[in-house]
Amino acid sequence: MSQTLSKTSGTKKNTANHASLELINEVQQFLYREARLLDAEQFRDWLGMLTEDIHYWMPYRYQRYRRNEKDPTIYEASYFNDSLDDLDKRVRRTEMDTCRSEDPASRFAHVITNIEVELTENSDELTVYSLTSVHRNMNEDDGHVMIGHREDLLRRVNSELKIARRKIILDQNIFTNKKLNTFL
Amino acid sequence: MNAITPNPFDYHQFVNTEEGWIDRRIFWEETIYQRELEQIFAKAWQFVAHDSMIPETNDFYTTYMGEDGVIVSRQKDGSVNVFLNSCPHRGNKICLADEGNARNFSCNYHGWGFSPGGKLLGLPNEQIVYDDGDIDLERWGPRQARVDTYKGLIFATFDEEAPSLEEFLGDFRWYLDIMLDHDEGGTEFIGGGIKSYINANWKFGIENFIGDAYHGAWTHDSGARALMGESLPVPEPAGSYQASMNGHGWEFGTDGFYDLAILGQPKILEYYEKLKPKMAERLGELRATIFGSLASVAMFPNCSFLPGVQAFRVWLPRGPRKLELRTWTIVNKNMPDEIKQAFNIACNQTFNPAGIFEMDDGDNWEGNTSINKGVVTRGEKLHYGCGMKRRIEHSELPGVIYESQYSEANQRQFYQRWADLMSARSWDDVPTRYTPRYAGKPTRPE
Ligand code: FES
Ligand SMILES: [Fe+2]
Repeated sequence: MSQTLSKTSGTKKNTANHASLELINEVQQFLYREARLLDAEQFRDWLGMLTEDIHYWMPYRYQRYRRNEKDPTIYEASYFNDSLDDLDKRVRRTEMDTCRSEDPASRFAHVITNIEVELTENSDELTVYSLTSVHRNMNEDDGHVMIGHREDLLRRVNSELKIARRKIILDQNIFTNKKLNTFL
Repeated sequence: MNAITPNPFDYHQFVNTEEGWIDRRIFWEETIYQRELEQIFAKAWQFVAHDSMIPETNDFYTTYMGEDGVIVSRQKDGSVNVFLNSCPHRGNKICLADEGNARNFSCNYHGWGFSPGGKLLGLPNEQIVYDDGDIDLERWGPRQARVDTYKGLIFATFDEEAPSLEEFLGDFRWYLDIMLDHDEGGTEFIGGGIKSYINANWKFGIENFIGDAYHGAWTHDSGARALMGESLPVPEPAGSYQASMNGHGWEFGTDGFYDLAILGQPKILEYYEKLKPKMAERLGELRATIFGSLASVAMFPNCSFLPGVQAFRVWLPRGPRKLELRTWTIVNKNMPDEIKQAFNIACNQTFNPAGIFEMDDGDNWEGNTSINKGVVTRGEKLHYGCGMKRRIEHSELPGVIYESQYSEANQRQFYQRWADLMSARSWDDVPTRYTPRYAGKPTRPE
């Protein structure tokens, strides 16, 4: 597995770390709801699922020889390297009546799978791994698929789950489309 | 320059700068595209990398000159080699990574080994496989390009006959200094660049940056309002310009700060407010004012940047109907880390496939390209006649100068240069279409 994906998952067998079925179910429903909001371009509501201190990060995916591989940092090129304020600017763009390149609208399907829930030392926080496969169709026949490996930190704020950190590692080296007009 | 195939056309027939139109076939036809690879990308100097991308000995970066894959690699003596990324045995790609460090390269097929500089070093089981006289290692290394640099930018060409880089850039160096030499430490790239495809002819990207101030206020209105809370200004003709030199072009206002403000980062504005007086000492008042003004730039044939926004990019041709865009953020080496990071975040937020501005451009260029599938459509001309009568002489600005940055002057000059190179049998046929002021002279007082 490439070093740019988390190495902490997979081998860990700490039973104290096991999330209850009820909790797993809650997380799954949370992520599916998020996907539905993104499919429907309800970005304002989506922002409401994030904490005030969110770091939403999708670094560029390099192709390097194994011996040269290194973890991405926030000090390099990224598709997203955003605070809540930064994300808000992106959402504002889509809300303008002059956002012509999004009209007619794209058609999205965010398919969320491989959900894994891990407890953390902080009882308010969970580490959640998932895979998102985003299918985007637009114009007459412009189709595009993006696969993102996600690592989230979810936090319970006033009994509701929110996303406090998200790191997305894309499969593609060359991003094979002109625009990434959604969130992963 | 020996024409690789006989030159059947005078390509000036596709470009009429007097009447202000372009023939759409240059954005569609495969035969014209193949000719571009031969006449432009196999001959013109092209940006391949920034010095800062390969700082250490044996660092390498892989890219393309036209569709020819190349390895750009740092040598022990600090120089840079650029050579074909293709093994001279059966042609396989020598290097498969974007970047890295390699004490040598070996081909995955039969294992021919190459030095970081591209010398053929050895063949596996050479004693058994080859007899004396079968192969001369000196002669069978991958083909090397000519390499030169200008203030941090590395350029290469495969044409031995091409003029020097200095002559190729000409007076455009005077403008390049605004971007590359406005601070004493020079520039560097922020780590990494993002690669993406756009299904558009490569020339639509470059002509947008060379002179399309016009699209800004319309195409990018939603982005501008989201970032700054207001629409982009429509610049007054007076005090804004298009400057062109042999296909390189800069369109700019003289407001001094607009492109710096566009990113919505107060830290960046503060940094440049402090730097501007020093910049004026270094480059003169006019050039210090041009930096940061509403502007966009392109170097012939396929490299662009936005001074002030600090977005830097190259448009690699991928057939007549597709391009590969590579984007970077360029900053001053001596900038505080905090300002570098502010640029890294702001620049990526605006200019990459997920960028607030970038996202509004791609569909238009794809539309410009794909619609030419229709034969009737393809037979129609495109209008490039904006600002035909606004040519002026300027005491300080070198090059062909047109007043008003809303103009298609730079685009017409770009396509003129394109036609000149496409039709040329040798570099002697390629005219210089402006009066150089800095030939053989430095563009900044030492
Ligand atoms: S193709 Fe490279 S060693 Fe044979
Ligand atoms: Fe644009």
